[in-house]
Amino acid sequence: MLFFSFFKSLVGKEVIVELKNDLSVCGILHSVDQYLNIKLVDISVPDTEKYPHMISVKNCFIRGSVVRYVHLPAEEIDVQLLQDATRKEVAQLKSQQTAQVAAPSK
Amino acid sequence: MADLDSVLAYTANLMSDIDKKLMIVLKDGRTLIGFLRSVDQFANLVLQDTIERIHVGKQYGDIPRGLFVIRGDNVAILGEMDDKKDLTQLQKVSIEDILDAQREQLQRRDEETKLRNQAMLERGLQPHGDVGSEDTL
Amino acid sequence: MAEVATNEETSNTVEEPLDLVRLSLDERILVKMRNDRELRGRLHAYDQHLNMVLGDVEETITTVEIDDETFEELYKTSKRQIPMLYVRGDGVILVSPPLRVGGV
Repeated sequence: MLFFSFFKSLVGKEVIVELKNDLSVCGILHSVDQYLNIKLVDISVPDTEKYPHMISVKNCFIRGSVVRYVHLPAEEIDVQLLQDATRKEVAQLKSQQTAQVAAPSK
Repeated sequence: MADLDSVLAYTANLMSDIDKKLMIVLKDGRTLIGFLRSVDQFANLVLQDTIERIHVGKQYGDIPRGLFVIRGDNVAILGEMDDKKDLTQLQKVSIEDILDAQREQLQRRDEETKLRNQAMLERGLQPHGDVGSEDTL
Repeated sequence: MAEVATNEETSNTVEEPLDLVRLSLDERILVKMRNDRELRGRLHAYDQHLNMVLGDVEETITTVEIDDETFEELYKTSKRQIPMLYVRGDGVILVSPPLRVGGV
């Protein structure tokens, strides 16, 4: 849930989603779901020569599984907060695992 | 039935696109355009009055395809069409012409890939990437 | 709280592969990706899928092209800088913890 929450905190910001087929889509992050599917509004595609089919699209839904990278606005991100959230999430996951080992009945 | 909130949590994104004219890019690189009539939590889709649009360079052609149920995991992008964004920089051609152009393009790519893969194999390198890999996901 | 105590105890030990990644938080790491891509950057976040957020990233893409006439393979590397990058875990091949010597 770490990255789901993370992306939710970036809603309204401009990002560039880079897909595994090398297509890059720039747009405003509109929403995200638990699979990290992403919805962008007011999109533009830098390389319309190579990807002409995207010219007539304004908003789009991108399936999480086809994403390679998301370029993020560095100035909007509190890296200290992010690292702390990561440590917290990892610790929580570990304690859940320990609890399961301790009570194997389920 | 799973509780409604959790179902909505991951479909809410597409519910708002119902009955709109959408462009769907499949994982294999094909482009479909049609009216979205239904979605579910797996992003399975029902598309009505669908056409397949083939682009080659600045040309494109439309093939009527009809009614589709698309399994969600084949979908890469769903785009909302904006008819105001014009297509004047592109040229619409007949189905026959676009298919010919596509065949030519594929053959050219196929030959390039073959040549490269062969040369790589001869030098003990592992070739990767099939024909048209730049379109597929 | 017992839970907290356990976390303290395990915080510096490596019991499972991802513990090594945890110890690399806020360090510059090397990530090798599918399709001959490499990333060098500071690790700010990760999860169990190896989804990551990296800062001050340098991406290196290596491509092999075969010269049409001589059949020589030409290795080309292109680099680009990305200030802040989310990386989806399914493309990750390996993560190499802090490279201290020579600078990254």
